[in-house]
Amino acid sequence: MIEYNRMLASASFVGVLIIIGLPLWWKTTEVYRVSLPYDKINSFDSLSHTITAELTVLANDDTTASEIANLIEKAFQDSTIIKLRIHKSILSHSLHTTLDSVADEHEAVEEVASHFDLSRHNSFYVVQRKPLFQDVWLAGERVMFFRDSKASSTIVEALKGIIYQLSVVEGASSESADIARQIRFPPGAGYHVVLSVVHPRPDALKVDLDAGNAIEDYIGSFVDELSVLYNFTLKSQWLHLLNFDFQSTEIKDESEWGHHFAVRQDRLHLLLTKLEERTATHVSELPTINLALYAVPCDKAPLVIYDEYDQKISSPVQAFMSPKWGGVVLANPSPKECAADQIFRPDVRVIMGTFISQLRKLLGITDAEPIKGLYLEPLRSVKPRQWEIDNLLRIKTTEQLTSAERTLQSLAQLLGEISNIVINDEVGASINSAVESIQRASDLMREGQLVNAYKTSQNAFLDAETAFMEPSLLALLYFPDDQKYAIYIPLFLPIMFPVVLSLKNLLLWFRGKPIHKEKTD
Amino acid sequence: MESVRRLLLYNIFFIVFSCIHCDVFKEELFIKSLPPSHLYTHFQFVTLVNSDTSSFHSHLAPRSLVEVISRFHVEELHLTLTEGQWRHNQWGYPVLDAAPGAELYAWFSADVVDVDIQWKKLTSTLSGLFCASLNFIENFNTVIPQMTLWPTGAVKAGQNVTSHLRYASLPREIVCTENLTPWKKLLPCESSKGFSALLNSRMIHNTNYHSVGVHVRKNCISNDCSENNLEIKQTVGLVYDYDILTSSEWSFRKLYGQGLPGACPLSSDSKIYVDVTSNDTQPFTLIPPPHSVVLSQRGGSDVKLAIYDVKPDGQMINIGIKHNRNSDLPVPIPPPLYFNRYVLGYGKEFGGIVTELTNNCWTSINVVVLENAPWWLPIQLSTLRINGEAESSLIISQYYSPGRSRQKPYHLELLMKLPPRSTTTITIDFEFVFLKWQEYPPDANHGFYIGSALILANLPTAKNYTSLPNTGTTFDSMLNASKLWYPIVFRTNGAMVSLPTPDFSMPYNVICLACTVVALAFGPLHNICTKELVLKPVGTPVSLLQKVFNLFKRKRD
Repeated sequence: MIEYNRMLASASFVGVLIIIGLPLWWKTTEVYRVSLPYDKINSFDSLSHTITAELTVLANDDTTASEIANLIEKAFQDSTIIKLRIHKSILSHSLHTTLDSVADEHEAVEEVASHFDLSRHNSFYVVQRKPLFQDVWLAGERVMFFRDSKASSTIVEALKGIIYQLSVVEGASSESADIARQIRFPPGAGYHVVLSVVHPRPDALKVDLDAGNAIEDYIGSFVDELSVLYNFTLKSQWLHLLNFDFQSTEIKDESEWGHHFAVRQDRLHLLLTKLEERTATHVSELPTINLALYAVPCDKAPLVIYDEYDQKISSPVQAFMSPKWGGVVLANPSPKECAADQIFRPDVRVIMGTFISQLRKLLGITDAEPIKGLYLEPLRSVKPRQWEIDNLLRIKTTEQLTSAERTLQSLAQLLGEISNIVINDEVGASINSAVESIQRASDLMREGQLVNAYKTSQNAFLDAETAFMEPSLLALLYFPDDQKYAIYIPLFLPIMFPVVLSLKNLLLWFRGKPIHKEKTD
Repeated sequence: MESVRRLLLYNIFFIVFSCIHCDVFKEELFIKSLPPSHLYTHFQFVTLVNSDTSSFHSHLAPRSLVEVISRFHVEELHLTLTEGQWRHNQWGYPVLDAAPGAELYAWFSADVVDVDIQWKKLTSTLSGLFCASLNFIENFNTVIPQMTLWPTGAVKAGQNVTSHLRYASLPREIVCTENLTPWKKLLPCESSKGFSALLNSRMIHNTNYHSVGVHVRKNCISNDCSENNLEIKQTVGLVYDYDILTSSEWSFRKLYGQGLPGACPLSSDSKIYVDVTSNDTQPFTLIPPPHSVVLSQRGGSDVKLAIYDVKPDGQMINIGIKHNRNSDLPVPIPPPLYFNRYVLGYGKEFGGIVTELTNNCWTSINVVVLENAPWWLPIQLSTLRINGEAESSLIISQYYSPGRSRQKPYHLELLMKLPPRSTTTITIDFEFVFLKWQEYPPDANHGFYIGSALILANLPTAKNYTSLPNTGTTFDSMLNASKLWYPIVFRTNGAMVSLPTPDFSMPYNVICLACTVVALAFGPLHNICTKELVLKPVGTPVSLLQKVFNLFKRKRD
């Protein structure tokens, strides 16, 4: 009977401490985490996405059409990311005759546009046109003309290298950043484009420039074309008295000035540091693309950039670009402006043209290598080419999707490694919505709905970034383990030790076995 | 001849310049001696821009600030960062008064729906812009003054201005170089040229009082106020002590460590005003002589101002004074209204705040007093006493908004008529509150700051009054600007209380002690309950462990 009481006491200790106490302690000290779709996140494979693009081959006769279409299909077979949906057909008689009769290629493009919808994203037309001086003629619209079936290899090369830019699109989903990705801005919801006019000597020279109008007119009409991708906000500011020592050396020459100032290329990045002090990029809520126009003072003009081999860079505009930061143009006043009225009127057209060519690279439009036998129509206005926008959409969709997947995967990995990270309801919701958007964007890409896929992937990217950057994740990160043990050990060790040891006796008693063997001897 | 030609060139230059961009920048410096032992210098940098176009394309205005203003739909904004205490009864009145620490108040435009969210965003952004702890402004230290603060700029007719106003002050904020550097970056000339080159942080933080401010408001251009100008005024107020300067003969080199390297080339108007009224009683000479001396008669006080018109020619100017003879110590004339604030009580249960207002004038003055007590210092309206009386005829109107724990501060506003030549004492009691352990600031035993009280006064005389009239932008608007009333908002000195502060190592001590006691008690308890005392017969075989124990036992015996 006494033994029964003792065992009951022992069992109640075990009951209170182990059966009630342990789960209670576990529950109260648990880190709050919403259940997450780990299996979906882990099953993401950034290389499995494919984008379907529409391509229409229009030829004068059936054999040419199928020959070209087959060649293109074969060439794109091994492409992992872009799948072409090729339609081939024969040009209608009326279009055929007009195409052969019109003198100018632009008129021909207009003729094609009147029969087919060239404004549709993600579509492209390869059209035969006999009277062509080159093998292939590539327009700014979504049209490419070819003379005959002999041009097929040039067509394939142009499609791979210029229109679809397979290497760049594949680079957007790769682990390491390729050159284009090192230059272009990372994805975002939108950008602020800030033109800073740097005027180091307002007392000595007057700069006559309406920066606000210049950016609205030139950059504005450029970014309007990209409105399907981003919202751009255009801003301008003046930075006066920003003194930067270029450490230039005076070199005599035969120019109007009689000399020029040479500045070494490796010194230029220090100007960016100086600019960064005053441009106030951090007040904007969105990433800022900086465009800086440096009005060179008369006593340092003209400033000429020298490359690393001490060779003068011969270009009408002295400019340089910093990847993921922006571009700088050094505007040199003319000797007449410096001598006579001391009013410097920068050539807005040339400067803005330079900024736009920098902006194209910063936003991700890459200029392809020229191909023999292909005539690429040069840019006549600030507007980007139509197929460049399509390709930018493809690059950005892939990049955003890959980035969102990688972010979620690293978050999942972090959650596995660090048990202190809290996932509250909001973070859980944005992770779930990111996962959903990724799947939807992937489907839309496969269906070829490029613009919708882009928007969805952008949402996925933004949701994943918000989840990853949420400060509430770190709420408990700095509650270190050693402090926990400093409290647990003095309390739990002396208490749990006898209780756990008594478990043995309790078990023996339950099985009806004698507890004290030596006593029975 | 050369200088005339240059001057002409500059003038043409600025006329052309200002017309293209319609931005104007002006810099001014006002110097006044505060007898017997202090010197007040007030810098003012004004940028006027067209408010319609400026939010995206800025020329002279700082883009960062203009962008913040337009993004959060701010109509008017006043931010001051101050170290030290302005002594109104000794020094008279400053051009712009500021509360010790950081003070921020802003009016939002009428289309802002949720002002509180916008206010929170504004304070966080400004916190980053000025490297100040303005992000600590929350709902629990923000008040909405009902009578004390009124917009100084243009307001749309029929707009309810008080509902879109927020006021907060952080009396604990310490102001130093890291706030001055971002402030200087807002100036078009930064600190390389012009008056801002004098703001050498080594010298200005060596003063008795320094206050850095940014004031943004909208001004009407046309009579019907259909067009607005955005006025961005950056100010620095400094009070030097002659004892620290080691002489009462000041010069720019002594005050700022260097001379003035000419005006800012972007400024259309760079003037230095030196108050030389005391020259009559204490003769001194200004070196170099001023370009002109004007007499300003304003509200019964005559002020003589020496004016220097500084040109952007890059020539070093070192303005200073030389005393002609050692005169007697001057007696400062007390201003028409001054005040004092202190904390009453002992122990850790009850206390009180006393605000004493002295009207030194021959006529009664109407004032609004705003008492702003944090939620951890509950003030009870029932304990309000004016000159010791609960019912006072001096109060014309009052507004009381009780606080809520951790959500809202206590806020009391009194519109009072101060009788001539009298001292009025406002007493209100508070009780101390226990805070949660995480709510104590670092170094909790240092004490807790109570913010300044705000006093809006309509002064009948302009004696000691140096503020600009409401419509004025620059100091020339102060000349001969006689008005019926001279409105000014004062800040009293802050105060400190020491709240009951626990020993912060206590929780850990308690945990350790409790754990030890529990552990010690648990062992015997468990043994008694679950073990049985059994007598062992002699001669039973002993285990190895027992043999070792026995060995020790024998040794001890």
